[in-house]
Amino acid sequence: MTFSDDTLMAYADGELDPAERAAIEQAMQADPAIAATVARHRALRADVAAAFAGILDEPVPARLQPRPAPEPQPEPKPAPAPVASLAAAREARQAQEARNARRRWSWPEWGSLAAMLVVGVLVGKLAPGGAPPAIAASGGQVVAQGELAAALDRQVGGGGGNGGNAGAAHVGVSFAARDGKYCRGFVMGSAAGLACRDGAQWRIPVLAEAESEGSGGYRQAGSTLPPAVLDAIDARIAGKPLDAAGEAAARARGWQPGR
Amino acid sequence: MLADEIAALLPRMRRFARALTYHREDADDLVQIAMERALGRSDQWEPGTRLDSWLFRIIKNAWIDEGRSRTRRAELFAPAEEGEHVGDDAAQAHQQRLALQKAISLLSEEHRLVVGLVLVDGLPYKEAAEVLEIPVGTLTSRLARARDALQQLLADQTDKTRRMP
Repeated sequence: MTFSDDTLMAYADGELDPAERAAIEQAMQADPAIAATVARHRALRADVAAAFAGILDEPVPARLQPRPAPEPQPEPKPAPAPVASLAAAREARQAQEARNARRRWSWPEWGSLAAMLVVGVLVGKLAPGGAPPAIAASGGQVVAQGELAAALDRQVGGGGGNGGNAGAAHVGVSFAARDGKYCRGFVMGSAAGLACRDGAQWRIPVLAEAESEGSGGYRQAGSTLPPAVLDAIDARIAGKPLDAAGEAAARARGWQPGR
Repeated sequence: MLADEIAALLPRMRRFARALTYHREDADDLVQIAMERALGRSDQWEPGTRLDSWLFRIIKNAWIDEGRSRTRRAELFAPAEEGEHVGDDAAQAHQQRLALQKAISLLSEEHRLVVGLVLVDGLPYKEAAEVLEIPVGTLTSRLARARDALQQLLADQTDKTRRMP
C-alpha cells in the first residue's frame, strides 16, 4: 500500500482518523522508507517548535498589553498614540526607549535599533589601547578577567553608566538561567556579550560587536545589545530579569546559584 | 474581559509574529498593531469562537498590509551568525535554533504563515485553514511544500557549514 507524502505528513501531525492511522502504522512496520518519511516530518516539526519555544517564556513588553497596567510612574508617561504603521510604531518605540534610557539602563529597553552587528572574534574590541585583556581562554572556555570580571562581580542596579568612558565595562541585564546559574549582559568597548557565572569565573558564551551610532554615539550604543546577545539571553533566561534588589542579593551570594 | 483573554494569548501571538518577521522588534511592532486593531474591532469577535484564531488572522492581515513597507532587517544579519558563539553545548543548541529561525525567514510569505501556525504554534490543520481563510486541502498541500522548502534550506545551510574551513 502506498501513501502520498501529504498523507504521511498529516499522520505525523496527528491529523488522521483512527482507521487511517492504523493503516499507516501497519505500512510503517512493513516499509522502512515510509517509517523514515514519517520520522523526518516529526523531527522537523519538533525542531521548529523547539526553535521558538523560548519566546513563550519571555516577559511580554508592557507596550503590547491591551490595557496599560496601573503602575506608579515617577514621570508622566504620554499615552501611546494609535499606531498606523510599522514605521510609526518604530518611531514611537524609539522615543519611548530614549526616555527609558535616561531612567535606567535595563532590559527589555535595550532595543537593538541601530546596533548592527558583525560577529567574530572580538577580543581586541574589548580593550582599546594598551589595557590588559578583558577576557582569556581557560580550559577551552572564554572567561572574563581584569576590569570586565570586576565589573561583572560588582556592578548592580544598572549603575554601570560611566559617562563617556568608552573602554569601561557596563553591566546591564542580569538573570537566572535555566540551569540556575546567573548570567549578565555587558557592553565593553565596541563589543557586547553575555557572561554566565561558573564557579569562580564568568564564562562568556556569546560575544558580538555593538556598533556605536555615529560619532560620539557610544552612550546610546551602551544602551543596546546586539541581537545575537539578546537571542542568547532568550535561550537561557528562566523567568524575568533580576531587579536591582535581586542583583544585590545575587552579588551577596557571590553570584552562586541560589537554588 | 476580552482584554484579559487577549493578554493571556500575547506570548503565543509574539511567537507567531516572530516566525513571520524573524526580528524581535519587528515582531513586537506587528503584535502591537494587531492588538490595537483587535481592541478597536472587539465587537467583530463572536463569543464562542476561538479567540486565538481570530487574533492570528488579525496578525496575518496586519503583516500582509504592512508587508510592502516593512524593513527586511533579517537579511542584514544573514552572514553574521557564523562563529558568533564560543564554547558550550547550550550555545551550540542555541545556534541550531537560530539556524531554523533563519531558514524560516527565507521562506515565502505563504509558507511562513503555514509553518508559523501549524509547526510553531501547533494549530490543527482545520484551525490553521480557518485563520488563512483557505480550504483544508489547500492548507495541507501548502504545508507539505513549505516543509520541503524548509528542509532544502536547512540542507543548504549544513552544506555551507561543512565547507567552512
